[in-house]
Amino acid sequence: MNKLRTSLSEDQLSALEAHLAGTLKPVTPPMEIVQRLRNRMHFPERRVIALRLQDWQRMLLVFGGVMSGMLVMITVARAFFYLIRRHI
Amino acid sequence: MLDKEFNEEDVLTRAAQGDRDAFGLLYERYLDRIFNYVYYRTGNLHDAEDLTARVFQRAMNHIKNYTDRGVPFSAWLYRIAHNLVANWHRDRSRRQEIPINDVPILPSKGDHPERNLVRSQEETTLLKLIRRLPPERQNLLILKFVENMSNAEIGKIMGRSEGAVKSLYHRTLLSLRDQIGDQHISLDNE
Repeated sequence: MNKLRTSLSEDQLSALEAHLAGTLKPVTPPMEIVQRLRNRMHFPERRVIALRLQDWQRMLLVFGGVMSGMLVMITVARAFFYLIRRHI
Repeated sequence: MLDKEFNEEDVLTRAAQGDRDAFGLLYERYLDRIFNYVYYRTGNLHDAEDLTARVFQRAMNHIKNYTDRGVPFSAWLYRIAHNLVANWHRDRSRRQEIPINDVPILPSKGDHPERNLVRSQEETTLLKLIRRLPPERQNLLILKFVENMSNAEIGKIMGRSEGAVKSLYHRTLLSLRDQIGDQHISLDNE
């Protein structure tokens, strides 16, 4: 009796496996879910990141250029006023 | 198509170096499989979507830690999915359960559309029984039937030997057979 309860006959095994195979089938995720998942996992492309980086570098160059230009202008102005004061 | 195009080892190396395009290839390759696994473990379309996304986000964040020590990448992904689903069940046990009848039916691959609309009473009953099984037995059945994996492949994911998987499978079938006893599911040879 106990042996019957702890073993499966070939027929039972194949019937149970057939039921399981019929129930547990691979499913196709709905397209809208696939799309939402893709959007959720979407990251900026490397090209976009590189462009952003280039922009940032360009901004730094412009800022540095403006500051250097101002420094040169202040130095020239100071030299100009110094020379004028000496002549007076 | 994707399967033929790339060598997984190369793609994994690139992905581990932070190449997001490479990770995208892995994502496209495993999306359906992970979604299937999570869908059957949760029986809930919305949570399946959310958990699938979280599996890939976690995988992407930790892909640098992945090293192939005899465990394929797919097994690593399934383990992440398994952990997230386990957490989901833990959180959910504190809240209310959704009856299995509310679980939306998704089209099975290769089925006729009419077939997808209704699950037979037997399938619904069997799904209910499967979802009452301990998590590792549910995993085993999903990997075996949905993912069509061998005992050896399942063993790699579950961290068990092939023999242990075979034995667990047998015990799972016995347990199902006993539970089916009271249900209207025929185990006579069809």
